[in-house]
Amino acid sequence: MQAEKINFIKFTTLTPEYIRKVSTVKVIIPDTYNDEGYPIDGGLVDQRLGVIDPGLKCKTCGGRSKTCPGHFGHIELVRPVIHPEFAKTIYMLLQSTCENCHRILLGNEEIEKLNQKLKDFILNEEDYEYEDILESRAVSSKTKTIKLCPHCNTKQRKIKLERPTFFSIEGIQLKADEIRDWLLKISDNDLKLLSIDPKTTRPENFVLITLIVPPVNVRPSITLESGERSEDDLTHKLVDIIRINQRLEQDIDAGAPQIIIDDLWELLQYQVTTYFNNETIGVPVARHRSTRPLKTLAQRLKGKEGRLRYNLSGKRVNFSARTVISCDPTLSINQIGIPIKFAENLTVPVYITQWNIEYAKKFIENPNYPRALNIISKQGIRKRISDNNREEILKIVSKGDIIERQLIDGDIVLFNRQPTLHRVSIMAHEVKVLPGLTLRLNSAATTPYNADFDGDEMNIHVPQSLEALAEAKYLMQPKDLILSARNGEPIMYLKEDELVGIYLLTQDNNEFNKQEACEILAGIGIYDLPEPNKKTSKYSGKSLFSMILPDSLDLEYKDKNNEIKIKKGIVTSNNIITEKIVNDVLITEIFKTYGSDDAAKFLTQASKLSLIIAYKQGISIGIGDYYIHGIETEKQAIIQEVEQKAEQLWYNYKNKKLEPLPGYSLKETYNTTNILELSMARNVAANSIKKYLNSSNDAYLMIQAKARGNIFNFIQTSLFLGQQAVRGKAPSRGYNKRLLPYFKKSDNNIMAKGFVKSGYSDGLNLIEYFEHSMGARDSAMSKSLVTAVSGYMQRRLINALQDLYIDENLAVKDASGSLIQTEYGGDSIDPMYEKLEEK
Amino acid sequence: MSEESKKNKFNVQPGEAVGIIAAQSIGEPGTQFVLRVFHSAGVLSLVSTKGLPRLIELIDARKKPKSPAMTIYLEKNISKSFDDAAKILKKIEKIKVSDLISDFSEDLEAKTLVLNLNKDKLEQYKVTEKSVFNKLSKNTNITVSELENNKLKVKLKKIKKLKQPKNKKSDNKEAKNDQEEKEFSTKATRVAFVDLLNLIIFGIPKIDKAVLKENNENEFYIVTSGSNLEEVIKLEGVDKSRCYCNDPFEVLNIYGVEAARNTILNEIKTVLDEENITVSVRHMSLLADTMTFYGLIKSVGRKGIAGKKESVFARAAYEETVKHFINAAVFGEEDKLRGVAENILIGKQIQVGTGRVKLVIKNSDLKKLREKPKPAN
Repeated sequence: MQAEKINFIKFTTLTPEYIRKVSTVKVIIPDTYNDEGYPIDGGLVDQRLGVIDPGLKCKTCGGRSKTCPGHFGHIELVRPVIHPEFAKTIYMLLQSTCENCHRILLGNEEIEKLNQKLKDFILNEEDYEYEDILESRAVSSKTKTIKLCPHCNTKQRKIKLERPTFFSIEGIQLKADEIRDWLLKISDNDLKLLSIDPKTTRPENFVLITLIVPPVNVRPSITLESGERSEDDLTHKLVDIIRINQRLEQDIDAGAPQIIIDDLWELLQYQVTTYFNNETIGVPVARHRSTRPLKTLAQRLKGKEGRLRYNLSGKRVNFSARTVISCDPTLSINQIGIPIKFAENLTVPVYITQWNIEYAKKFIENPNYPRALNIISKQGIRKRISDNNREEILKIVSKGDIIERQLIDGDIVLFNRQPTLHRVSIMAHEVKVLPGLTLRLNSAATTPYNADFDGDEMNIHVPQSLEALAEAKYLMQPKDLILSARNGEPIMYLKEDELVGIYLLTQDNNEFNKQEACEILAGIGIYDLPEPNKKTSKYSGKSLFSMILPDSLDLEYKDKNNEIKIKKGIVTSNNIITEKIVNDVLITEIFKTYGSDDAAKFLTQASKLSLIIAYKQGISIGIGDYYIHGIETEKQAIIQEVEQKAEQLWYNYKNKKLEPLPGYSLKETYNTTNILELSMARNVAANSIKKYLNSSNDAYLMIQAKARGNIFNFIQTSLFLGQQAVRGKAPSRGYNKRLLPYFKKSDNNIMAKGFVKSGYSDGLNLIEYFEHSMGARDSAMSKSLVTAVSGYMQRRLINALQDLYIDENLAVKDASGSLIQTEYGGDSIDPMYEKLEEK
Repeated sequence: MSEESKKNKFNVQPGEAVGIIAAQSIGEPGTQFVLRVFHSAGVLSLVSTKGLPRLIELIDARKKPKSPAMTIYLEKNISKSFDDAAKILKKIEKIKVSDLISDFSEDLEAKTLVLNLNKDKLEQYKVTEKSVFNKLSKNTNITVSELENNKLKVKLKKIKKLKQPKNKKSDNKEAKNDQEEKEFSTKATRVAFVDLLNLIIFGIPKIDKAVLKENNENEFYIVTSGSNLEEVIKLEGVDKSRCYCNDPFEVLNIYGVEAARNTILNEIKTVLDEENITVSVRHMSLLADTMTFYGLIKSVGRKGIAGKKESVFARAAYEETVKHFINAAVFGEEDKLRGVAENILIGKQIQVGTGRVKLVIKNSDLKKLREKPKPAN
C-alpha cells in the first residue's frame, strides 16, 4: 500500500447515513463467541468486522489477521440517545434558539451585522488568529439572555441541563427524540451565525440514533493461559448497550407501560454515556466484574498513558540498547565504549553501490564478529545470512541491495540518559568496541547527561538512515556541543581527580626529571620534550602542560584569583593553572580559535595528563585528614563567642535596647539578627581553620583545586555543623514555645534554636541529631517537590515554545507564521556562541 | 537587520528550533532550585516570593502575584536628600488608625469610639496628633472631637457607608435600608468600628510596607512590598520613567505591552540570577516575547499559549484531550499540521530545524534542465 502524504485533517461528526454506509454488519447479538469458540454472526466479533484470530479469514476483505485492517459495524438504537460529550453544545444550541420556531434568538438587524462579520472572516481567513475564531464563538453568550423570540414573539422558557445528559424545560423533561427534532429544525443559516459549519456538522448528529461499532482490531480479546477468553473493556460495554437496546425494543413491541420504557431508555443512555467516557461527572462509574473501572473511549485517549501521549507522541524503537555506564578516561569525549555483546547484535545498514561492493562483500564473507547479519534485496526481502547460504548470497549480491552489518569502531550512535531535560542529553558518539559489559564514556561527558557512575544506566540508538546519520554526525557530536546553548559556557570540562592533577602539575616548585617527563608525555601520546629549565635541567609542570596547548596559542587572562599568560603555546606565567583557567578560559579560547576538534583534543589530553600526575602523586582522603591538632580550643572559642553574642542580643531584645531594622518589628528584628549571627559562626570558623591547613592535607587539597568539597564541608566534619534550618528559618515548630521537650519553654540558648555544636567526626548527641534531622527532612522534602514542580513547568514551557523557529531572515516565527521577534534576540547571535562574540 | 550581523559566523542558523532550546534552557536548571538556606544576607530586603514559585507565577501570568513590590526612584533634584525622600516615603507608607493607638473604648449605644493615641507610635510613624485629627475629620461619615491626653472621640454619623458593600445586596433593598437606618444593630456598629480601625489614613492603598534605601550613587530610593503603580506615579517627586513594579499586569495597564514584556523579562532574569543560574537573555526574551506578542500577556499553559494553538492535535496531546476533540468536531476545525507536536503524532517530519529544508528541484527535473541545449550566444 502506498502511503499518501497528509496535508490536513478535518474534524466532523458522523451522520447516521454515513455510519450505515461504512458499516459492514448490523450488530444485533450481545455476545461474542459461541460454545465452539467460533465468532457468532451478527455478534460483536462477527467476522465481517475483521479478524484477529490466526487461521480465520475476514469476510469483508478476505484478509488474514495480519493483513485485514478491520471494518466498522453499527448498532441501530431503538430510541435516540444523547452523546454525552456533546451535551454542553446541545445546551448552548437549545438556549440560543426559539423553542417554537427554532430560529436563532437574534433580531434581523443583528443577524445582518453578524453575517457581515462572518463574510469578512471567510474572505480574509489568513488575517485572523485562532483567538479571533474563539471570540466569534462567543455569540451564544448573547443569545442566552434573550427571553422573547424576535421572530415569532414566543416567550422563552428556561431550559436546564442536569449533568450529564438530562434536559428539562421548566421542570418537564426534554427527551432525546424531542431534542433531536428541535436540533433538526435549526436552519443552516442560523448555525453559521453560531460558528457551526452546517456542511461539516449538523447538530442533530449530537443525538445518536445509530452507534458505530469499532472493528475488532481496536478491541482485541486476549486468550488467557487457561484457554479462557477475556474480552476488551469496549466489547463489554458494547455488549451492555446491545442488551439494553434489545430489551427496550422488546418492551416497546410488547406495548409495555411508559414508565418501564422510560427506565430502560435511561439505562440505555447510561450505557452509552459510560461507553464514551467512564469518568463523566454525575454518573456512577461502570465497573468490570472484578470491580475494576472500565477503560472506555475517553480513557483510551487521555493522559500520560493515553493513546496520544503514550503511543503517538512517543514511539517505540528498534536498534537500541541499554546498560550500566562506567568511566573510561582513555576515551575521548567524542567516543563511547560499547560492550562487544552489544556490537554483535546492533546493526548498521550498508547501501551497496558500485563503489563499496567489495567492502560489503567482506562483511558477508566473514563468519565472525564484524560480519553482516542480514541482507535486504532490491525487492525488499530480508534474508538472514548464515553459514549455509553465505556462498550463495555472495554470488548474487549486487548494487542496490542493503546489508545489515554489525556495529564496528568508528560508527556513530546516539547516546542518551533520562531525564532528557535538554538537547545535550542525547549526543552522537563514535563507537569504540570494548570488552566488558558496560557502556563507557569520558568523565567530561557526564555533565551534559547529568550522569554519574553509581549505577546509572544509559541508552544507545543506532541511526538507520543516511539522513539520520548525517544529522547525528554534523549536529550532535559532543565536540561540537562543548559550549552550552543555555549560556555559552563550556558544559564539558575537567572534574574531580583531573583538577587535582592539574593543580599538582602546575604548582610552582613542581619539576620532573627527564625520565619522568618522558613517561608522562608518552602516556598522552606526545613524543617530544619541552625546553628544560636552564638552571636545573629539569622539566617544569607548566612546560609539560604547555605541550597539550596548540602551538600558536597566544593568551593573556587575568582576574581576581586567576592569571595566565601564554605565548606561542607555552605558559609563561608563574601562577597555578586553576580550575577556572582550564575549564573556562582555555576551553573557550581553543574552541574559538582552533575549532571543536582541537577543543575536544585538548580536553581529552588534559584529562589524561592530569590523571597521570594524580596517579603518580597519589591522592586519597581519610578521616585522619579531618582531625586537626589544636583545633579544639579554636572551636570552643568560636562557639563561646556565638553564645555570648546570642546572649547579648537576647538581653538587648528583652530590655528593648535593640534598634529595629527598617520595615521590621522588634521581634522580627531579633529573630533575623539572631539567626544571622548564628549562621555567621560558620564563616568565622572558615577564616580561622585555614590557618591550620595546607596542601599536605588531601581533603584540603581537593578544596583548593576546586575538585570536590568546600571549606564548609570541612568545618561541618571537623568542627561543628552549625545552625540548622527549616524553610530558611531556625527550626521552631514542635512543641509549645520550644523545639523539643528536652528544652525549657522559651529557652534562648543557641542549642534550643537549632545550633549544632558537634561535628560529623565527633558525632552528634541525641538532641543535635534530632535538630539535624529536621533540617535534613526539610531539604529532602523540598528537593522531591522541586523536581516534580519543575518537571511540569518544563513540559509546559516546551509545549508553549516548541513551534518557534528561525526563518530565512533570522526572524522568529511560530507554526502559524506569526512573527514573534523581528530579529532573534535583537542581534541574531546564537546563544551557544555568545561568549565567543563578546571576547 | 544590519548587513553586518547577517555575515556573522556566530549567528543562529535559519530553521533552528530556538523555542525548544529556550524552553530547555529555562526548564533544565529547574531542578537546581533549592530553597537556599540563609539567603537574607542583606537584612533590609523585604520578604518576597523567590525561586521556583515566583518563576511559575510569572510564566503562569497570575493576575495576583503573591508578593507585589515596587522600586520607586525619585526625581534627580531631590533624590540625594534624605529629608525629601523621607517626605515622599511618608506619603506612600500606609498607616491605619489601629497602627497609631494604644487602646480604645467603645460605646455601642452612643455609637462612639474613643481612640487613645499612642505617643511613641505617633513618633515612630512621624505623624502628629493634629494631622490624624484633620485626616479623620475629612471623612464625612464620622464626626471627630478632640479630648485631652491624646484622646480622640469619634462618633459615627452613618453606619451604612462604612459597612462592607457585601451586606447591602438583597432583593428588597429599600425596605431593608429604611429599617436599618433607623435602628441599626449592634453588629453593624461593631463592623463599622472595625472598619474605622482599619481605615487607612495615610499612604497609598495596597502598599503595605515601604523602606528607604540608598544606592552607591548616594541616591535615595524607596522599596515597597505591595504595589500600586497607578497611584504612585501620580505623586509629585517620583520619577515616572524609572519607577519599577514587579507585576507585569499592572505595568501592562499603565505603560503598555512593551513595558510589560520588559517587566516579565526582568523578573525572570532576577529570579534566575538570585539562584546563580546563568541563562542567556536571548532565551528569556524569547519567552517574554512569546507571552506578549499578541498584545496581551498570555500564560504558558493550557489557558494561554499552549491551549490556544491552532492545531487540534497539539492541544489534545497537551491537556484536556477529549474537550479539544469534541470542540473540533462541533466547529469543524481543520488541523493544518504546521506545528511540531501534530507532525510527530501523524508520523511526518517536523517543520523545524533540518526538517524545514526542502528540495527545490528534483533530481529528474535537474536532468531535464541539463539536457536542454544551451542558447548560443
